[in-house]
Amino acid sequence: MSIPFQELLDFDVATLSGKLRARDISPVELAEAYLGRIEQTDGSLRAYITVTDTIARKAAKKAEAEIAAGKWRGPFHGVPIALKDLVYTKGIRTTGGSKVLADFEPDHDATVWTRLKRAGAVLLGKLNLHEFAYGITSSNPHWGIVRNPYALDRIPGGSSGGSAAAIVARSAAAAIGTDTGGSIRIPAALCGCVGLKPTWSRVSRYGVLPLAYTLDHVGPITRTVRDAAMMLQIIAGADRNDSTASRERIPDFSAGLDGSISGMRIGVIRELNDGLSDSVAHSFNAALDTLRSLGATVDAVTIPSLPMAGIMNGIITWAEALEIHEAWMRTRPQDYGDDVRRLLEGGMMTTATSYIRAQRARARTLAESLAALADRDVLVAPASAIVAPKIGTTQILEAGEDRVDVVGAILRFTQPFNSTGQPALAVPTGLSPEGLPVAMQVIGRPFGESEVIRVAAAYERARGALAPPPEIA
Amino acid sequence: MPLITGETVQRVMRDLYGYEISDADANAIAHSAGAMLTLAGHLPSIGLGGIEPPFGYPVLLAEATRVAKSKS
Repeated sequence: MSIPFQELLDFDVATLSGKLRARDISPVELAEAYLGRIEQTDGSLRAYITVTDTIARKAAKKAEAEIAAGKWRGPFHGVPIALKDLVYTKGIRTTGGSKVLADFEPDHDATVWTRLKRAGAVLLGKLNLHEFAYGITSSNPHWGIVRNPYALDRIPGGSSGGSAAAIVARSAAAAIGTDTGGSIRIPAALCGCVGLKPTWSRVSRYGVLPLAYTLDHVGPITRTVRDAAMMLQIIAGADRNDSTASRERIPDFSAGLDGSISGMRIGVIRELNDGLSDSVAHSFNAALDTLRSLGATVDAVTIPSLPMAGIMNGIITWAEALEIHEAWMRTRPQDYGDDVRRLLEGGMMTTATSYIRAQRARARTLAESLAALADRDVLVAPASAIVAPKIGTTQILEAGEDRVDVVGAILRFTQPFNSTGQPALAVPTGLSPEGLPVAMQVIGRPFGESEVIRVAAAYERARGALAPPPEIA
Repeated sequence: MPLITGETVQRVMRDLYGYEISDADANAIAHSAGAMLTLAGHLPSIGLGGIEPPFGYPVLLAEATRVAKSKS
């Protein structure tokens, strides 16, 4: 019980879990360490919208009593986590990062939170995000601009920016994010942690404020691949409250974590291997060399329709998001931030035919991706063409002094796998020369999270630890 | 490119949603919507022949069953 706070905060969930079960760590002390860390860092980071300190202390005391009585609920028992603030928590404010829902208290819990709570997790609070999850900067006009722990003048990515910032800043041990166009993987990539978008329908969306019904995914944002696998194990599976939640068998996602990838076949997606900044290209190529050094076969694959996936995503999100927001847009458009309101207004111009065509086109891209995976285990691609840009930047100079649109340079790498619904995990590949995180994605077959996790874990092990961010005051 | 003008955007906002937006905002939305719809018009070039939209009856039936159970 005498482990220094700083050391407690540095443990990943897998380590914490063992120490909590062995009673080397008290859940109460652990919760206090995290609450102290939030107080220390969140004035700068703005990762949290609501800190549930009273609830956290009560849950930690309960966990301590249960563990002492020999009633261990599993690896998240007593572990302090946080939820993106569009995950419903009964009786706890759930804003969606908006002014529209500033005072909304749901009357039920989201299934992901029900499952984590049942597993004994301790809720630290609700995390900041891009308003209504509709954007990738997390520069929230209502609840504060979320900042990147590696450089406070840069975006953390989004929309789950608070989730990734909290993980990297050590103000949560694990977090839940959502991903409609990249919103788990982008902030994980730009902040330097792990983000796992599972297969569409693998995790129930019940009680999660939607952005686009047919593209939304719920998943873990964590420090390590092992932690992501452990969290997915708890939240995955069929749900009587969500008819779209898959009844597919749930494997042991941690089974392959320590396995070799020698002999595995990895495809590099040609359409996502261009237009990279020098630091991303260098880091991605080094990661491919690492995968080869681990005994994997790495070759190029092509998914010809993939460049059109951004259009599919854009049209579908425009239409579905507007359907969700239409009543509020009629009555209180002034309560939206400018960027989100403009996107919703764009949706007013879309047509039913373009929406149906975009939905049909998804099958073409998925078919091509499945063909690429027919004789390969996973695919890989960078998670973004660029490192985290400075807050407020819309264009940057890259690739031979060409001006590059920031949103496009990021989204085109992640959106395709929302269209195809395939599992995709972002894992850091290192830091750029200016000290900013760089990451790659590992993409699998539908319901092939286990292969994705196996490859990402082997890579992560070979890569070694990332240098931590500078201390945040 | 489909002809969406700022005036069209302003009229939709006014007539369907009941509020006004500036000329500059309307023109920006008209430009992005026009570009998006043009690109959506190119989607058939990737080969959509014979592809059904993913709105199958099993999905409808499962949702109806869930709703029926939740009300009982």
